[in-house]
Amino acid sequence: MQVFTLLVKPSASITFTFNDLEVSAIPGQSVGAALLDAGNRVLRVTRFEKKPRAMLCGIGVCFDCLVVIDGAPNQRACITEAKANMIVKTQVGGA
Amino acid sequence: MKLEQARVVVVGGGPAGLSAALNAALSGASVLLIDSSSRLGGQYWRHLPETWRDQSELHLDLDTGLLLISAVTNHPKIEIWSGAEIWSATHEDGATTLRLITAGVEKIITTKVLILATGAYDRTLPFPGWDIPGVMTPGGAQSLIKGNGIAVGKRVIVAGSGPFLLPVAAGLAQVGCEVIELLEANSPLRWLKSFPTLIQNLSKIGEVTHYIAIFNKFGVRPKFNRAVVAAHANQDGELESVSIAKIDSNFKIKRIKRVKCDVAAIGWGFTADTSLAGALSLKQLVTKDEGVAVLVDENQQSSIPGIFAAGEITGIGGSELSIAEGVIAGIAAAKYIGYKVEISNYHHKTKAKKQKFAKALISSYPVKSGWQSWLTDETIICRCEEVKYSKLKFAVTELGATDSRTAKLLSRCGMGMCQGRICGRFVVDLVANESGISPSDISEKERISVGNRPIITPISIELLANGE
Repeated sequence: MQVFTLLVKPSASITFTFNDLEVSAIPGQSVGAALLDAGNRVLRVTRFEKKPRAMLCGIGVCFDCLVVIDGAPNQRACITEAKANMIVKTQVGGA
Repeated sequence: MKLEQARVVVVGGGPAGLSAALNAALSGASVLLIDSSSRLGGQYWRHLPETWRDQSELHLDLDTGLLLISAVTNHPKIEIWSGAEIWSATHEDGATTLRLITAGVEKIITTKVLILATGAYDRTLPFPGWDIPGVMTPGGAQSLIKGNGIAVGKRVIVAGSGPFLLPVAAGLAQVGCEVIELLEANSPLRWLKSFPTLIQNLSKIGEVTHYIAIFNKFGVRPKFNRAVVAAHANQDGELESVSIAKIDSNFKIKRIKRVKCDVAAIGWGFTADTSLAGALSLKQLVTKDEGVAVLVDENQQSSIPGIFAAGEITGIGGSELSIAEGVIAGIAAAKYIGYKVEISNYHHKTKAKKQKFAKALISSYPVKSGWQSWLTDETIICRCEEVKYSKLKFAVTELGATDSRTAKLLSRCGMGMCQGRICGRFVVDLVANESGISPSDISEKERISVGNRPIITPISIELLANGE
């Protein structure tokens, strides 16, 4: 998303999928951060009004960034470290 | 189950928890440090893995953090459980039992001496459109920079109130975001009011000038008496623009202009994470910013002997105060289980000085009740349960709720996954206003009860089945 002037990014990269599309991440990055960096801000769709939601607090407090990881719903994208070959999906409703 | 006969258990790996763990160990005690994050440091010293380089510019004080982290990690008497989520805490017969999940396995430990250093998170206020993707907290934006090395967007607005907006705006500019607005809701005169205290804390003046230099370099011009009062979505439902209002000293809107942006980072100070303290029924008090804090004595001991608290959960005060409190708590905890150590007067003096500074700062950045006039009937109040303002008002005016607990049952505000961590604090104010109670007349009990939740972190049933 951005060209960094300050940070030198490490080159080693891992990949996982988000809604069947490949996303790359740097080891240590959260799922939410890697997705945002790849241009995917919307992580879930609300139960009642079907509204898109994204990370709010970024530190695991608000539960607004819930995604489905390897079949398990309600995973906080902001505090879950990205791991190679994870299967991440948008969480729709309570999932 | 394992009884930690003579081991100090510390919860939280930020400035307070790290200094508490280290000082308990230096006093001779064995220590177990439990932290929810995968890397120690807490929110303040959140950092990138070692494979990254050149991150020190993003932290004013990372060196202290890395020193402390390395001292704690290398100390033979300290065991560390990272990535651990505590979901239950009970106290019985002079011992505390914690149930937690770490690396996918449930663990139960019982200890005679516990130090809570669970920190704080951004205080939020609702406004029309605050649920739109792109609206986030300053702490959230900062964690993406400091902990993940990514910029949150292209055109960013930083708003709200309090000194924390400065490092966040500076950090965003440094990683390449265009910080188009930096908006402080309070008047600059309030900054002058804290000046005498600043003089006594010279390092803080250095911090401020450091940020001003960054703002000058990137063309960021802070503005006062202004707030983001509404957010607007594009056709994809993501943030397209915000309404920025010039506000009066009570936060009432004077006039509005619309500004395009893709991220708005908005925060109003901090809320202490008292979930664990509440579960253990520790005595709490209401602070000057209408927040809740754990009541402690001069040696950081809570209302329950053997349970100590340090850092932001004893009152928002920043990293330096947290370290001072952590040092005292660590020594006091070791002393509690029989180690012959004394807390030096010097530590108490340092703490008192930092406390004075924290108090001055908090009174410089009040949140005024005029924010409630920004809401419309359609505004989401509880994000988890998608409860609108009209529904909360209905619970009070039509269904007869007079306190936030009843309003919660009748509206579902605060009944979702976050258990009211985000909305609980301001729902108290909204319910009081609707019931005709002035903010100053809201009872301590009403404010404190918001943070009491039976389950500390929601966890899945499957994980529990794998317990030790």
